[in-house]
Amino acid sequence: MGSVPNQIQERPSAAPKMARPVRRGFMALLRNPRARTRLIVTLIVFLISLMFVFPLYWMLVLSTHTLQEVSAFPPPLLFGTALGDNLSRLLEAFSPLQAIWNSLLVAVPKTLGLVLISALAGYGFSRYARLTTAQWLLSAVLATLFFPPSLGLIPFFLEMKVFGWLNTFLPLIIPAMASAFGVIWMNTYISAAIPRELYEAAELDGAGPMTTFWRVVLPIIRPGLSALAVWTFIGTWNDFQIPLIILNDADKFTMPLALTTLSAMRSSDTPAIMLGTALGILPVFLIFAFLSRQFISGLTSGAVKS
Amino acid sequence: MQQTLKARPVQRREAADRRTLLATLAPYFLLFLIFGLLPILYSLYLGFHRWDGLSPIKSVGFQNYARVWTDPSFIKAVTNTLIIWLGSTVLTVTTAFVLAFLVNEYVVIWRTYFRMVFLLPLLVAPAVTAIIMRVLFSSDSGLINTFWGNLVGHPVYFDWFSSTVWIKPMIILMIVWRWTGWHFVIFLAGLQSVSGDLYEAARVDGATGRQVLARITIPLMLPTIAFSVITATIGGIQVFDEPFVLTNGTGGTDNAGLTLGMYLYNAAFRNFQFGLGSAVSYYVFILVAGFTLVYNALIRRSRENG
Repeated sequence: MGSVPNQIQERPSAAPKMARPVRRGFMALLRNPRARTRLIVTLIVFLISLMFVFPLYWMLVLSTHTLQEVSAFPPPLLFGTALGDNLSRLLEAFSPLQAIWNSLLVAVPKTLGLVLISALAGYGFSRYARLTTAQWLLSAVLATLFFPPSLGLIPFFLEMKVFGWLNTFLPLIIPAMASAFGVIWMNTYISAAIPRELYEAAELDGAGPMTTFWRVVLPIIRPGLSALAVWTFIGTWNDFQIPLIILNDADKFTMPLALTTLSAMRSSDTPAIMLGTALGILPVFLIFAFLSRQFISGLTSGAVKS
Repeated sequence: MQQTLKARPVQRREAADRRTLLATLAPYFLLFLIFGLLPILYSLYLGFHRWDGLSPIKSVGFQNYARVWTDPSFIKAVTNTLIIWLGSTVLTVTTAFVLAFLVNEYVVIWRTYFRMVFLLPLLVAPAVTAIIMRVLFSSDSGLINTFWGNLVGHPVYFDWFSSTVWIKPMIILMIVWRWTGWHFVIFLAGLQSVSGDLYEAARVDGATGRQVLARITIPLMLPTIAFSVITATIGGIQVFDEPFVLTNGTGGTDNAGLTLGMYLYNAAFRNFQFGLGSAVSYYVFILVAGFTLVYNALIRRSRENG
């Protein structure tokens, strides 16, 4: 389980060209004032970076120790051997598989729907940008970015009550598929990735607008789709407030709700709580380990837009 | 008649395009109207009414908007939110900028590691971060108290979460820990896009490192910094998950950790004051929209000036 953060940290050492200056000999490096500054600053930044990792590392460490070891002094800083005991104690109070399943039931359909709806609208906005209707509606989408999510929170809850959707996953899936952020992002992405001539060529070949969307646009914008999907999935996995308001039954709780409930119920059992927390964030770390490029490209393209 | 006949193919083409456009936008706008706009408008209506969800709705004019200012806990929530917003925004943006500058300028090894490591906290749900925080600062076996106790020579059982002084710094610390990586990546991308020619020219002119930073790097980075500040601001004003989980939903001793988001939640979902809660959500909206308008005006002016 501890291998996930390690994997991420180890990856850089696989890049040989970055490591070359070190191999030239340490003493020679220290004699060069510029290299010395570089080394010292790198060390300082490295130490700071440890503070960002430490709480996560410590979470893993505590989840492998007994209750007595956890409250002993000096506190354990390396991995212990009580993982199995902690797991069996954790399973009495908390079902990680149930919570993971619930979170997947919410995050997977929402992500698929959001990506598809955003791509479709982005395609329409991009391909028909010259129509005044498109320009007006795009301004309307941009304007919705002004609305904080909490603005309609109370009526949203009442609406879900009227729909009979309280204590179901539907309010977490369907409404959130409409994302102004996703639409704007896909519009920008498609406008940059698809040249006009491609639409004309598709039309000459007799392809209708929807065929063009499925057969031409979607395959080309796949990197953008996966970046949006990664962001949506991780964001949904971590959502707390809406699930808190909508879900009542503990067996329907998504991961953050299940974990906060666990930590409130078993507040004295630190190792079990930390083990549960580690299991709860494991899926997201796995996704990051495999799709970090999409995650970062999503982050920066969101910023470039402004 | 003849004229319309001639214009017809173009018009028909345009009408067909408009139909396709509307078809591509339909899923997004349908969902947005039902689940986004309708609640927002109903929230505006509710803000001028008193309603507990059961008894008949009563129109009260601006009473909700005025009444909150006579509630000491609302005043507290406003001050707390402003303190948390200011503290977290300044610290996050500064830390991220300094780190990005140092990595860009001095770090030549392990660059992938440094690009990734600060992002790890972003993967953890804020609610889950609060659980880890509760364990780190726990009064009887928390790591912080253990080390403190070792420093002063006798065991320390300081209750961080009941402290009126420390609850806000802890919330700020959580936000900084979580969001520094996001801003760091934005800044790093910005710094790398600053043209190398400019630096070269400055060095040829004999500019010192400090002059380059003050005269070239920071001015060129201002739009990115402004974007970073506005993003942190919008998030900071709406903060809910962290204080909610950190204080077990209570707002902390003497409401020292109560934020506007929590006040809204309590009003609506604990006290069933839907009208009052809606009024608060419009206050949050005014804050967010106000900051965004100022930001847009600044960006527009800086673009016009060059």
